[in-house]
Amino acid sequence: MKVFSADRLERLLDTVLKPSRYTGGEMNAVIKPFDQADVTFAFCFPDSYEVGMSHLGIKILYDIINRQPWALCERAFMPWPDMADAMRKEDLPLFSIESRTPLDRFDIVGFTLQYEMSYTNVLEMLDLAGIPLYSRDRQNGPIIMAGGPCAYNPEPLAPFVDVFQIGDGEEMMVEAIACVRKCKQEGLSRLDTLRALAKIEGIYVPAFYQASYNNDGTLAAFAPIDDAAPAVVRKRIVRDLDSAAYPEAFVVPYTEAIHDRIVLEIMRGCTKGCRFCQAGMLYRPVRERSLETLLSQAEKLENATGYEEMSLSSLSSGDYTHLTELVCALTERYAERKISVSLPSMRIDSFVKQSLEEAQKVRKSGLTLAPEAGTQRMRDVINKGVTEEDLIRAVTDAFESGWSTVKLYFMIGLPTETDEDLQGIGNLARDVINAYFTVPRSQRAKGLRVTCSASTFVPKPFTPFQWQGQDELPQIREKQARLGDILHQVKGVNFNWHEPELSMLEACFARGDRRMADVLYAAWKNGCRMDGWTEFLNYEGWMKAFQDCHVDPAFYANRVRGEKELLPWDFIDAGVTKAFLWREWQKALRAEVTPDCRKGCQGCGLKRFEGVCVDR
Amino acid sequence: MKMLVVFEKKERLRHVSHLDLMRAMQRALRRSGVPIAFSQGFNPHLLVTFAAPLSVGMPGLREVMEVPLSAEISEEEFKEKLRAALPPELPCVAVRAVEDRHPAPMAQLFAAGYQITVQEHVEEILAAIPSLLAKENVMALKKTKSGEKLTDIRPMIYEIKRLDESRFECVLALCEAATCKVELLMDALAAEAGLEARPRYLAVRTQLLGKDFIPLELL
Repeated sequence: MKVFSADRLERLLDTVLKPSRYTGGEMNAVIKPFDQADVTFAFCFPDSYEVGMSHLGIKILYDIINRQPWALCERAFMPWPDMADAMRKEDLPLFSIESRTPLDRFDIVGFTLQYEMSYTNVLEMLDLAGIPLYSRDRQNGPIIMAGGPCAYNPEPLAPFVDVFQIGDGEEMMVEAIACVRKCKQEGLSRLDTLRALAKIEGIYVPAFYQASYNNDGTLAAFAPIDDAAPAVVRKRIVRDLDSAAYPEAFVVPYTEAIHDRIVLEIMRGCTKGCRFCQAGMLYRPVRERSLETLLSQAEKLENATGYEEMSLSSLSSGDYTHLTELVCALTERYAERKISVSLPSMRIDSFVKQSLEEAQKVRKSGLTLAPEAGTQRMRDVINKGVTEEDLIRAVTDAFESGWSTVKLYFMIGLPTETDEDLQGIGNLARDVINAYFTVPRSQRAKGLRVTCSASTFVPKPFTPFQWQGQDELPQIREKQARLGDILHQVKGVNFNWHEPELSMLEACFARGDRRMADVLYAAWKNGCRMDGWTEFLNYEGWMKAFQDCHVDPAFYANRVRGEKELLPWDFIDAGVTKAFLWREWQKALRAEVTPDCRKGCQGCGLKRFEGVCVDR
Repeated sequence: MKMLVVFEKKERLRHVSHLDLMRAMQRALRRSGVPIAFSQGFNPHLLVTFAAPLSVGMPGLREVMEVPLSAEISEEEFKEKLRAALPPELPCVAVRAVEDRHPAPMAQLFAAGYQITVQEHVEEILAAIPSLLAKENVMALKKTKSGEKLTDIRPMIYEIKRLDESRFECVLALCEAATCKVELLMDALAAEAGLEARPRYLAVRTQLLGKDFIPLELL
C-alpha cells in the first residue's frame, strides 16, 4: 500500500510544472473533518485541474454532496504527466485536493466522463491511487462510480467501474450516497451494497449483466444475471430544474482555469433535433430556469466569487424564453461592477441583435457560430435548421455591432457528404468575409479575423447517426487536405482541424462494447494517457493495443450497423426511442428535415416519462 | 483614501504565482463589497498594487498591498469585510487607512526579513554564518537582464541570526537600488561551508521593511 507523506509531496511540488494545480486552498473550497463524515466521496475529473475546474457538473455535484451534513466531497484531478511520473517514482498515492487524503481511503471514488479520450486517465488515476483497476479485483476499498454523458454507453469501462449513474445527477447522487451510507451503517457486504445501489433508478451495475456475441462479432444478447438488476436501465430526469439545487458559491481557482467565470445554467435540453448531436438527444426534455431564479443565482455567485465574467450556459441559449430580459437585466445590474456577460453556444438561427448589443456593453468577446455544414442539402441531412441567409444576417448584425472576430465550426465526414459540401464551406467563409466589407468602414471594427474549424464527425450512441460508420482515416485526411486547399483560396481565413486519429479512437469508444475494455487496458499499459492532448497522444501505443487484443478498430469506428443489430447501449432507456432514432436516420438519408418539437411533437419518446415533456 | 493591507500568504499557497495572487486579491476585493477604485479605459481593472512580489515557492507572513478606494470606509469595516472574503490560507492581518498622497509602499521598500529552515547539511550551513558575516566582501553570481554578474552582496546582508538547530533569520536588501535574493545568500553560505551545491531549504518572508527597518505598513 502506498503511504502519503506531506513532506515528500512538498518536495515534489518544488520540481513539477504548475504546482498550484495540486495545492488547493481556494476560496469556497469546502473543508470538513474527514473522519466525521458518514460517507466520503472523491470527485475525480479525469483531466487536468484547469480543465476540470471549468466544468459545471463537478461544481453542481460537489455542492450537492457537501450540502448533506453527513457527507463529504473532495476533488481530485488527473496529475499532469510530470507529476504522475514523480508520484509513481516516490510511491506517493493520488490524493484529494482539500484534505490531501489518498483516494483509497474514500468510501466512493466517482469519475465524470465528459469525453471518451479521458478513459485512460480514469485507469491512470486509479492506478496512481493504488486502487486495483478491475472491479473483480476489489474486495474492499472504495466503490468506483462514474457518470456524465459518456456513461450512456458505459460498456468500454464496464470491467473497471462498479456503478454507473445515468442521467441527471442532482437527485440520483443524493440517493446513491444515502444508500452507501445506509449499507455501511448496516454492515452490508460489498456485493449487497452494489445490489442496493442497482435498485435506484438510473443506476447500472455492470457486474450484474452478461453479454454474448455472434460469430460476426456483433452483440447476440445482453441481460441481467442478478435479481437486483433491472433489464432496462432508465435515465434519471430532474423534472423541475428551477427548484433543483445549484451552487451559491463556486470554488475560485488561483491558477487560471480554461473557463474561469460564473456559469448560469439557464436551460437543460434542446428540442432542435440536430441529428449528429448527442447532447441534444440525451438531455431532453427542455427545462428552463426562471428569470428570478437566475438573477438570484447570479447575485449570490457574484458575491461569493468576485468573478469578472458571467456566462450563460445551455445547448441552445437563443431558445431560452426570457433571453433578452435576462441579458438586459444582467448587463444593467453588473455593468457598474465591470462584469461582462457572454453568451456561448449561440445557435445562429436564434440570434437576437438586441442581446448582442446588450452583451457587449461591458467587454467584447469573439463570436462563435456553428453552421456545421457548408451546403443547405448537408444541413438538411443533419437537421441543422439554419440557412445561409440566417448566418449572413447574424454575422452582419454582429459586424454592425462592432464585432470583428468570428469563429465558424464545421464538421467533415458527415453522412452523404460530397465534394460539393466541402466547397460549400469555402463559399460560406467567403460570404462571411464579404458581409464584413458590406458594413461601412466607419461602423465596423477594425481587424477582421475569421477562423474555420473543421472537426471530424464521430457517430454517437442515442443519435440518429448511431448506425453510421465514420470515414476511414485516409478519406478523412484527403478531405482535410481538400478543405485546406479550398480555404487557402479564401483570403483572410484561418483554418484548423482536429487530429483524425483522435476522432477515430473516439469513435471506437463512443460505440464500443465490453471488448473495448481490453484495448483500453492494453493501451494504458503501453503508456497511453492524456490522449486528448495532442502532445501526449500516443497513436502507436493504441494501434499496438488493438493488435495485441485482436480487435479491429474498423469494426467499431467505420462499420455501418443495421436496423436489427443489438447495440451495446440498447439496454439503456435514454428517453428517445430506437424507433424514433431510426426514423430520423432514414429521413436524414433523404435529406428531409424534422422541425423543432416545440412546434409539434415528433414522438421522440420523452412523452413516456410522465409529466416531463411540456407542450407549450 | 487608500488602505494599506497586511496579509499572510500561507505555506499551502506558496506555489501560487504573483500574477495569480494579484487576481485572487482583486476577486477577494470585489466580493468583499468594499468601495474600490477602478482604472479608466477599455478594460477596467482594480487599482491594487503590491509592495513586492513574492518568489514562487515562498510563503509570506506580512505582505503589503495598497488599495485605492472610491469612498470612505473605516479601517474596522474594511478589515471585517475583506476578512470574510478571503480564503483561510490568505488571511488579512492588519489594515491602515492613509491619505491619497501617502507614498506608495513599493517606493518606501528598503529590505525584507526572512526565516529560513535549512533542510540539508544543516550543521554546515549554520556553522558558516559567523564566518560569512566576518567577511568584508561576499562575491555572488547575480542574474541580471544582461546575463550573470559577479556582485558583492555583503553590503546587502543586514543581519543573520541563528534561531535554533535548523533555522535562522536574516534581513536582506530589497529595493530598486539593491536586492539580495535568499538564494544568493544560500549560495554564499553553501560556498562558505564548502558545499558544492545550495542545500534544500524553505524560506518564509516574515516582513517588509522601510527606512530604519521600520515595518512598511507603519511608515
